[in-house]
Amino acid sequence: MTNTLSVKGLSKSFGANKVIDGISFDVPEGSTFGFIGANGAGKTTTMKMILGLLPSDNGEIFVCGEKVSFGATKTNRFIGYLPDVPEFYGYMRAKEYLQLCGEIAGLDALVKSRRISELLDIVGLSGVNKKISAFSRGMKQRLGMAQALLNEPKLLICDEPTSALDPMGRKEILENLKQASRKTTVFFSTHILSDVERICDRVAVLSGGHIALSGTLAELRTKHKSNSILIKFASAIDKEQFVSAAALLMKDAKSVDMELTLRVTDIEAAQRVILRILFSNDILPLKLEVLEPTIESLYLEVAG
Amino acid sequence: MKSFVAFTKKEFTESLRTYRLVVLAAVFLLLGVMSPLFAKILPELLSGVDLGGGIVITAPDPTAMDSWAQFFKNVGQTGMLALIITFSGIIANELSRGTLIILLTKGMKRHTVILSKFLSASVLWTASYLLCLVVCYAYTEYFWPASTLSNAFLAFFSMWLFGEFLIALLIFGGILFGNLYGSLLTCLGVIVTLSLLNILPYVQKYNPIALAGGTLNLLNAQKEAADFIPATIICSVMAVSLLVMSIVVFNKKQI
Repeated sequence: MTNTLSVKGLSKSFGANKVIDGISFDVPEGSTFGFIGANGAGKTTTMKMILGLLPSDNGEIFVCGEKVSFGATKTNRFIGYLPDVPEFYGYMRAKEYLQLCGEIAGLDALVKSRRISELLDIVGLSGVNKKISAFSRGMKQRLGMAQALLNEPKLLICDEPTSALDPMGRKEILENLKQASRKTTVFFSTHILSDVERICDRVAVLSGGHIALSGTLAELRTKHKSNSILIKFASAIDKEQFVSAAALLMKDAKSVDMELTLRVTDIEAAQRVILRILFSNDILPLKLEVLEPTIESLYLEVAG
Repeated sequence: MKSFVAFTKKEFTESLRTYRLVVLAAVFLLLGVMSPLFAKILPELLSGVDLGGGIVITAPDPTAMDSWAQFFKNVGQTGMLALIITFSGIIANELSRGTLIILLTKGMKRHTVILSKFLSASVLWTASYLLCLVVCYAYTEYFWPASTLSNAFLAFFSMWLFGEFLIALLIFGGILFGNLYGSLLTCLGVIVTLSLLNILPYVQKYNPIALAGGTLNLLNAQKEAADFIPATIICSVMAVSLLVMSIVVFNKKQI
C-alpha cells in the first residue's frame, strides 16, 4: 500500500515554544485518517506545513511521493484543503467562487462546469443564489468542502471541519466526508472523538508536540484491550448476592443501578471467576460484557 | 497565466461590487469638474468684497493656468488621498481575513497575486485619472479657448506616475504588515518623510514628491523638463523596487 501523505521527523517552533516536536506518520492511500488533538496542540500548524504555507524547522513531508517545499505550491495540485474557518469573497455567489477556484486550478472549461454543478448538488447548495456574505457557518463549510473537492484531489485535508457547526451541519459535513472518502484519501483534524469513530479507519493523537498514539482503529482497540467487565443483573437481590460472594473482585468496582463495572488485571481469569460465582449462586445475569475501549478512553489515557 | 487572468478578473469584479470603482470614478470626475469651475468663479466671488476700511480685493482675471493650478492642487491632495484610502486594503484585507489561503492552495503562485493586484489597481487609477484630466481639459478649453500648455505630457505623466508609486507602496505595506493599518501607515510614513526631505533644496530635484503637483511649473514654463527627469526616474525605480520587494517578502511570509 502506498502512502498518499508521509510525514518524517517534522518539527516546528514559534519562538521558544516548540509546537511540533519530531512527529512522523503515514497516511496510506484510500484511508480516512483522523488527526486528533486538543485545541492548540499543533494540528493546524502541521496541516499548514503539509500545504507549504508554513516553513518547518526540521523534517520532511511527502505528498504522493513528492517532497513539499515551503512557499511553492507544486504538491498542492494533489491536495484539496478545507481550512478551519474558510474565508470567501462575500460579494460572490457560490457558483462564481467555484468558477474562480476552477480557473485558478487550471481546470478545463467543460470539466469545470460539470464538476461545479455536481459538487453544488452534493453539498446541497445548488439552489442557493444569494451572496456568500449572507451564508450561514454551515453553508460556508459546505462551500469549503465543494472547493476542496473541485480538482478531484488525491488527498483531502480538512481542518476541524465540524467543530463550529450545529448538529445538523455536522451531520451533513460528516456525510460529505464519508462520501468523499470513497474516492480520495482523507486527512482531517478534530477534537470531536465521536466523529472519529464514525468515519475514520486510522488515527493519530497529537499531544505535547508528539504523536502519542497512532494506528488503525482496530489495532488500537486490541492493543489497548479493555480490562473492564460489565455485568447487568435482573434484580437488586441478585446483585447483592454476587457482591458478597465476589468480594475479591470488588476492589475496583463501579456500581450503577443494576449494573456493575469491574476493573481487573487479568481479564480472562476474572471472567472465569465471575462465571463460576454466577453459576454456583444460581444467578442469571441479563448481560455480561467485556467493554471495548472507546477512542475517548484511549485519548484520555495518552493525552489526559 | 490562467490563474493570473482568473485572479485579475476577480479583482475587477471586486472593484465593481464593493463600489471601489464607482467611488474612485466619482471623486476624480468631481475633481475634474471642480478645478476649472473653481478657477473661474473664485475671482468673481472675491472681487468686490469690501474688507472694511476701504480695502477692496481686486482679483486678476482668471486664466487657463489657474484652472490647471487647481487641477494639480486637487488631484495632488484630495485625489491622492482618495487613491490611498481606496487601495489601502487591496492586499492587507486579503491577508488579515485569510481569503487568499484557499486560492494559494489551489496552486496559484504568490507573485501572481502581487502583479495582478498592481495591474488592476493601475487600470482603475489610470482610468479615473484620465477621466479627470479629459473633463478638466474640456472645461478649461471651454472657458479659456486655445490656451498653450508647455511640456503637457511630462507634467500630467508625472502625476500619474506618483499615483502608481503610491499603489506599489500600499501593496508593499500590506504585504509587510498584513493589515490595513500597516498598509496605511507605511504609505503615510513615506509621504511624510519625502515631504520633510523636500525642505532640503538639493534634494528637491530628485524627490518623487515633487511629481505630485509640482509639475504645474512645467505647464506654465517656469521650469524645464530636465528639472523633473531625475525625480521621474527615481520614482519609477522606487515603484518597481517596491513591487519586487513585495514579491520577495510575500514568498517568505507565513500565512
